[in-house]
Amino acid sequence: MATITKAGPKKYEISINGKAATVVEGTYLLKAVMDAGFNVPTLCHHKDLTPDGTCRLCLCEVEVNGKKRLVTACNYPVRGEIKVNTSTEEIKKHRKNLAEMYLGRWPNVEAIQNIAKLCGATDKEKYKSELTDENPKACILCGHCVRACSSFVIQNILGFAGRGIKRHLTMPFGEIDPNCIECTSCGYVCPTGAIQVADNMNNPADPELIRRHGMRINAMMATLDKVQNRMREVGTANLVEVMDSYDLLPVHNYRFGKHPDTKKIDSGVMKSQYFTQDAADGCWLGCSMACAKAVDSFELKTGPYKGQKVVVDGPEYETAAGGSNMGGFDLDFIVEYNFYCDTYGVDTISFATTMAFVMEAFEAGIITEEHTGGKKLKFGAMDEALECLHEMARGEGFGVEVGQGTRRLKKKWAKELGADPNFLNDIGMEVKGLEFSEYVTKESPAQQAGYAMAMKGPQHDEALLIFFDAINNQIPTIEDKAETLYYFPLFRTWFGLLGLCKLIWNDVIPPSNRDYPPNEAAKIPERVEDFQKFYEGMIGEPLDEEKMLQQSARVFNLQRLMSYYFGRGTREEDIPPLRAIGPATVEEYLSREERYDKQMKEDIGIDPGGKTVEEKLVITKDFRYKHYNQILDAAYKRRGWDHNGVPTVERLKELGIDIPEVMALLERHEQ
Amino acid sequence: MITVNNKHKLDWYEGMTVQDVLDKMDYVLPLITVSVNEKLVQEVDYSTYEVPDNASVNVFHLAHGG
Repeated sequence: MATITKAGPKKYEISINGKAATVVEGTYLLKAVMDAGFNVPTLCHHKDLTPDGTCRLCLCEVEVNGKKRLVTACNYPVRGEIKVNTSTEEIKKHRKNLAEMYLGRWPNVEAIQNIAKLCGATDKEKYKSELTDENPKACILCGHCVRACSSFVIQNILGFAGRGIKRHLTMPFGEIDPNCIECTSCGYVCPTGAIQVADNMNNPADPELIRRHGMRINAMMATLDKVQNRMREVGTANLVEVMDSYDLLPVHNYRFGKHPDTKKIDSGVMKSQYFTQDAADGCWLGCSMACAKAVDSFELKTGPYKGQKVVVDGPEYETAAGGSNMGGFDLDFIVEYNFYCDTYGVDTISFATTMAFVMEAFEAGIITEEHTGGKKLKFGAMDEALECLHEMARGEGFGVEVGQGTRRLKKKWAKELGADPNFLNDIGMEVKGLEFSEYVTKESPAQQAGYAMAMKGPQHDEALLIFFDAINNQIPTIEDKAETLYYFPLFRTWFGLLGLCKLIWNDVIPPSNRDYPPNEAAKIPERVEDFQKFYEGMIGEPLDEEKMLQQSARVFNLQRLMSYYFGRGTREEDIPPLRAIGPATVEEYLSREERYDKQMKEDIGIDPGGKTVEEKLVITKDFRYKHYNQILDAAYKRRGWDHNGVPTVERLKELGIDIPEVMALLERHEQ
Repeated sequence: MITVNNKHKLDWYEGMTVQDVLDKMDYVLPLITVSVNEKLVQEVDYSTYEVPDNASVNVFHLAHGG
């Protein structure tokens, strides 16, 4: 079962040198002591690294239930009401002795000299020996680099070898490891300069600027991810239980937003029973988020590789949510369809969304076993869904039809089977011929528009506004939504242009984000600054938000024009199916009747009392489409597009992309 | 009565904490910022910070994923 913590953390009243302090359970004592205004010397501690406790300088006296003992403050978590003394005579003597030892070994290293001063150690000769290293940039074996290699970029290239006086820093077998990705994390955290960084790759304008901001991201990944989204631990799968809680997880072709069986496919089950390797994995070596996951030795139950044990990459949130959308609340099924989609070169989202549409059509009697080759394709028919996938790959049977995608199926069934085209359009979840990705958008008009206006069709790269709108209510007006629909896809497009990961942008949130008002906080300003500094560090030109959006808008508008050229870039291609904007069936309306009735009364101004569900469906549909079109108008205007969703000449001139080929295309549109 | 995100009305009771509001709303996302009458509440105080009657509680969820 996934853990979603609801109760707040415990707090304890502790005494530090007689001063009262309130400390959250689990806080390391060193932080509590420092926060209380007391200085404790330390060499091995680093704010962004897991505590190690090896230098022994931060020793403090802790009294628990009348019993006193010495602990290393950096890795001692506070778990009760304790009394702390940071500077007894015994501790002072201990620290001075330690500092003299350090001074004897590395007398000229500035970090050691500072510690010695703090501890009252002045005698450089007392522990002088054949081990004494006069180098002012000597390695002092603090271990910062070893821990950064492990926790910043999950590489473990650096380590210690030898014991006692032979302990030393090394790569495996004392050789330069070709697997070192040269991320420079070790050099960044080295307190003495023993590790020097040579910047000789790609000739960036300002490598130090890039490193500074890159390390800021790495440090946050190492320290914050484990208490935020746990991307390293479970990847995007953490969203399964979150989306279910917020009624946003697609269930049974987007009819519903949650299901009691979600607990069978959530990230907790994936982690405990499926994910193997017990390690973070990145799209590329050195990614500090490393959210990819794998299932090893998975024995396939169907298809050409039946009985074989394979490695499966995933499943990601979208693939798991595709499972719930098909009614397949079984991770064996999800991992198997994940594997075969990957193997056959089929997109898991398109497969799952099309299959969910097929299942609803089957249950509605539009298609029967006669059409499906004998398969009872009801929701939850997992074996049958897999067989469709195999047929698709073999190019035979009903699977070939499924492989045509939702848009073609709608047309085919209306034409050949006489099915109601309106109903098929209402429940067939595609725009521009691409199937919806796995979020229920009914209560988020901005997400609906973001999905439907997206260049490729309804996918979440350009639009993930569902929380801003449906949950936060932070963009309540049409103009607010239009503004968000303006900048958000431009942000995402810009990230893509520079090869920057959008997950790094908003899946680990800097503490500074709390200082911004909601609509600014939504942009994650500190992370955007990091990204802008990458650009500046590489190119040598500073970048602000306006310039960044301008760069992106040039590409974004050209993409829209290309979409227009291919017959997908006009208003009629930006209209989502009914189920994306509200309830499409009586069953759906009844599942949230209280909510829809309330909205009808408060937002539409019509009393639902005495009306049939069918009547209420029509009223809701008309109101929501009208509202949707108002948002579309406002978003087009904000983007500099005309009523039909085509970029205006003025906008193209403003962006400097009014080239002859483009202008000729526009002229054709105007005619 | 309190208002959550300028939209949802919740019955108020004596001793109601921020955590109670989050539980009632089923807000479970780890990436949230909470303010009560425009005053920011730290996460460590959710279970002890009492929400006054007629308060406006804003629970700001950061989008993630995608």
